[in-house]
Amino acid sequence: MKNSFLFGMMAVLLGVSLLISLALGRYEIDLGTLTQLLLWKLLNIGTAPKEVMLLSNIVFDIRLPRILAVILVGAALSVSGGAFQAMFVNPLVSPGILGVLAGASFGAALGIMISDSWFGVQLFSFTFGFVAVLVALGVAKIYGRSGSQTILLVLGGVISSSLFSALLSTVKYVADPYNKLPTIVYWLMGSFSSVDMKTLSGVAIPLIFSTMALSFMGKYLNVLSLGDEDAKALGVRVIWVRNSAILLATLLSTLTVVVAGMIGWVGLIIPHIARFLVGADNRVLLPMCALLGATFLIIVDTLCRTSMSVEIPIGIATSLIGIPIFVFALKNAKKGFA
Amino acid sequence: MSFYSAENLYFSYNSTPILQGVDLRIEEGSIVSLLGPNGTGKSTLMKLFLGLLSPESGEVLLKGKPLQSYSIKERALHVSYVPQSTQVAFAFCALDIVMMGRIAFESWFQKPSKKDRDLARAAMERLGIVYLEKRIFQTLSGGEKQLVLIARSLAQGAKILVMDEPVSGLDYGNQLRLLETILKLSKEGYTFLKSTHFPEHALMLGGYTYALKNGHILAHGLTCKTITQDLINELYHTNIELKQTVCGYPVCIPSFVHTTKMLEVG
Repeated sequence: MKNSFLFGMMAVLLGVSLLISLALGRYEIDLGTLTQLLLWKLLNIGTAPKEVMLLSNIVFDIRLPRILAVILVGAALSVSGGAFQAMFVNPLVSPGILGVLAGASFGAALGIMISDSWFGVQLFSFTFGFVAVLVALGVAKIYGRSGSQTILLVLGGVISSSLFSALLSTVKYVADPYNKLPTIVYWLMGSFSSVDMKTLSGVAIPLIFSTMALSFMGKYLNVLSLGDEDAKALGVRVIWVRNSAILLATLLSTLTVVVAGMIGWVGLIIPHIARFLVGADNRVLLPMCALLGATFLIIVDTLCRTSMSVEIPIGIATSLIGIPIFVFALKNAKKGFA
Repeated sequence: MSFYSAENLYFSYNSTPILQGVDLRIEEGSIVSLLGPNGTGKSTLMKLFLGLLSPESGEVLLKGKPLQSYSIKERALHVSYVPQSTQVAFAFCALDIVMMGRIAFESWFQKPSKKDRDLARAAMERLGIVYLEKRIFQTLSGGEKQLVLIARSLAQGAKILVMDEPVSGLDYGNQLRLLETILKLSKEGYTFLKSTHFPEHALMLGGYTYALKNGHILAHGLTCKTITQDLINELYHTNIELKQTVCGYPVCIPSFVHTTKMLEVG
């Protein structure tokens, strides 16, 4: 009962943030006009507001694709962070643990350097996100079955992350410092400013599907967090569950990099706040992560694009806002990161 | 047809031989205690029985069929595991932990049904721990944790419980209460395979005992016949005397305890 109330509240909060974010920007639209426009355009109720062409263009062509992308990315990062925290039985794990963010960043930088099309950059980013995770899994596999699989995976991830960070530095070093390097650096700080309907329509379905699928794995992740042997004895196919979760979380993480570059901290702090609200049960926790992550990122992105005359890179903003929240969340963490 | 047995099991970790030809038979409804010094392969043997490890050669049979031929779910319907300690990093309440025993019965998108919840509650009721259901698992005492994990096995519905040193870390009272619980459940038809460091505990529970040393079964049979003074001394390099009390109950008395002297002082 308490949980359904919380979910209701958070859903309302998400809706309100969405509306406010649609209204704010260089061209401010008051909420009354916005509501009138939405009702008229979506439900065919009432009359068209003045300057309907201009307003539709701003709201539906410019702001809405970006905000929808923000919602999907916020949810994706938070759910994959929450799932990885359960899987690695470690509340300090973030979605980048297996090197996916480092790999996708390297891929994007390489793409910016050698490809002229935006699609090429996205393709490189996506591919190398997966390559990095495969490297991590490969390193874990070398040492085979002995020892704890999760620790080997973490070590594999550390190695893979370092490898692709080094490769990224190499690309930065050799990239043309006047044309390419600034693009790479700016892109790595994360931004939704280049999101259009085309990008959104390409990534929306896999993002929605994977976020939902991972959320539905909650009960298996619960059991996995007791350790492999316990989970196996309870009748769970541990390797299958773990590989599915890794695949889904990797897909989610690479797609967030493809859409908006590197956005840190969201996948680490949102699961903590969600756990603080609804407890550790992943069946409830992961959907709550999705809602909270989406709302959080809308608020941060709106601040990024409205608070100064130039846009603040969102990766910087999430870190600056995320760190104090994380310190607060740690202070409030009950025994066992409730 | 044997109920649950191992035939000629061999197993090694990274080419260090652990088990070298182990045979073990468990009859339905019996309690089998595994005795043996540290590092002798008791835990390995139990993991082979659970199917968590696969033997190098030999096989484990469950109701006449090789354990490997059961799917992981089917196996969970027959055999459950009560680990020595479960590390729970996240704050699950006791009922959540017991409910996890039902996971093999749920499909992917299914929520736990009312039946699953009732079974979990009933299991906790049988062990008298319903009052713990809302408590956070890792804040429980060692004894309470063990009972919650046993309740999880009962909720799982498996009639065979494999327990790795169930009394380790429990205080004297909780040890006795846990042994009593095992005895009670065994009378209701549950089968137990458990390891223990206390020959006295095996004697209290009766049933069968297998003594394991250096990867071999040193002795086995009815507990009261198998556990002898010589066996204990050989197994643990001790010097004890196994004495019968007036009513015939065996007790171990280490040689450094001088019973006559105690009588003098007493």
